[in-house]
Amino acid sequence: MEGTPLSSNTVAASVQISDTALRLRIREYARQQRKELRTNTTDALRFGLGQIKDKISELENLSIRDVHGMASRIKRRKHATSEDMYRLSHAFLQGNENINAFAGVQGATQVIIKEFTGTQMQRQIEAAECLCNYSLGDAHVCEKITTMAGSYLVTFLDNQEPRLKRSCLWTLANILATCSKSASMLLQMQLASKLWKLYTLPASDTHGYQEDAGICLHLIATRAAASIREEDRRYIAENLHKKQSGETAAEYYMYIVFQLELVNRERDLCAAHFQHLLDFFMENVNFDPSTVAGKLRIVYGVRVIANIFATGPANCQLELQADQLVHALNKLFALREPGLTQDLMQLLKNLIGAQLLDNELLMEHIRVYA
Amino acid sequence: MNSEIFSAVVLAKDQLQKILDDLSVGFITPTEESKDTSILPPFKKLGVLIDLEDIEDEETKIPIWKNVVNTKTTQSQYYSCIQCRRQLPTAHLLDLHITEQHDLYFAASVERGDKPHYTCYIEECPLKFFQPADRKDHCIKVHKFPANYRFDQGKTPNKAKIRTKKATNVMDVHNDRDVTMDLSDERVPNIKAFSFGHPTQRTFNSRKDKALIDMRAMKEALDDME
Repeated sequence: MEGTPLSSNTVAASVQISDTALRLRIREYARQQRKELRTNTTDALRFGLGQIKDKISELENLSIRDVHGMASRIKRRKHATSEDMYRLSHAFLQGNENINAFAGVQGATQVIIKEFTGTQMQRQIEAAECLCNYSLGDAHVCEKITTMAGSYLVTFLDNQEPRLKRSCLWTLANILATCSKSASMLLQMQLASKLWKLYTLPASDTHGYQEDAGICLHLIATRAAASIREEDRRYIAENLHKKQSGETAAEYYMYIVFQLELVNRERDLCAAHFQHLLDFFMENVNFDPSTVAGKLRIVYGVRVIANIFATGPANCQLELQADQLVHALNKLFALREPGLTQDLMQLLKNLIGAQLLDNELLMEHIRVYA
Repeated sequence: MNSEIFSAVVLAKDQLQKILDDLSVGFITPTEESKDTSILPPFKKLGVLIDLEDIEDEETKIPIWKNVVNTKTTQSQYYSCIQCRRQLPTAHLLDLHITEQHDLYFAASVERGDKPHYTCYIEECPLKFFQPADRKDHCIKVHKFPANYRFDQGKTPNKAKIRTKKATNVMDVHNDRDVTMDLSDERVPNIKAFSFGHPTQRTFNSRKDKALIDMRAMKEALDDME
């Protein structure tokens, strides 16, 4: 008799737990689906230069002559209609010669920028998408866009309209990948700080700017790391902790930190920052090293941690994580990749030099393969 | 070291120590490794394809002036000033606009001129300036802004946009704010009357050439009385 209420309680509790689990799963599923749908409505519509001709055969073929005609018309009217911008966007996608033809018409780009900075949101979005396709052009075209519209592209990163914001991110990525002079100019506008804000948005933000911002930062880190302003570097260093290992586009994190030399050059990094980087690295070790993302996480994670130990951090409480660190290092040494092993040896040397652990004990537990 | 890598034997402690002794403590810098591009994710420049049907649909559905709500996201897109209805693309620019155009305390602080008040257009830039022209110069020189930056607060706004929301309440005291703010100003507006919702105006003196018209004279007269 006594067992009955207990068992009914247990059943009720287990039902409640499974009910909660089910609710959580449904909620997560709904979130994933929303994100997927949103991605489908945006990313699915992207094409490389000339790629559109192969994909859509019935597309109207727009020649240089058509582009000249459209450019003259919008210039004459000092205004571009939605259809003008739509046709120009298609013309730019079809080939570089169309882009060069448009860039050659003096005053035509200004009309698109006028629409881009206007007060009608729909036109602004269309102009932004037109500029995105225009940025598929060569360095001189990207330079032109940056000079005339760079400040607006950066300003609109704080806008609320997702399509406009995303188009600006895509345009910026195209420019950063093309022209280092433009990249340097954009960095003068403190682009890096704005991108870091978007990159470190919480995972609950379903607009998915993190990925695009991560790509832009990765391009900056690869091509224009030297041009980054000290204020931006400091801002990123101060906000290092805002990105977690499990979040979207976190594979770029260690690469950005390494390329921007945040550990070597920022003297204001505190023990909490080092701890965050160390935790990030420990989690990175669990990723598959055979994938591009995994490799990026591990290789640059090792370099960042090696540099942390080279600074000789005084307040780093590494003893508590000694076992975990040794385990992680052994796991990475076991991969037996020449480049990685070299960096790991440097890390080990710096760790011993920093005197953060019992070096004798460390040497006994480390497994390096000959 | 590289030649020894691929055999599966674990190094002894003294062997490891010997290798480590050959190394020196130091940073790994990006310049040394910049050639190692094999592990970087590839980036391909991409454009975006607009669907004309989307454009046509939206043009037919939304009146051209209705610019407040995006049909896809139902989010308000612009930051508009409630006083002059100027629309700005970011919260920071709206903040600057309200402060610089409509805040009397800000105007008084600027007039006092003891410290810079005009904040840079870039939210992340901490610099402040005494004059809007200084800020403009800074934005052009340092941040590479175009000379005709569209969201420049120093520009004279369009006439249609500076129409402030006129008070329609007859209970209000007309022009009282102007009188209190511009006591020393030559262009002191005429205080016509106090109105309490009745058609008859009650005033000290409705003639423009005397009394409250010349605030300076009024002030002098009050001083004389003392």
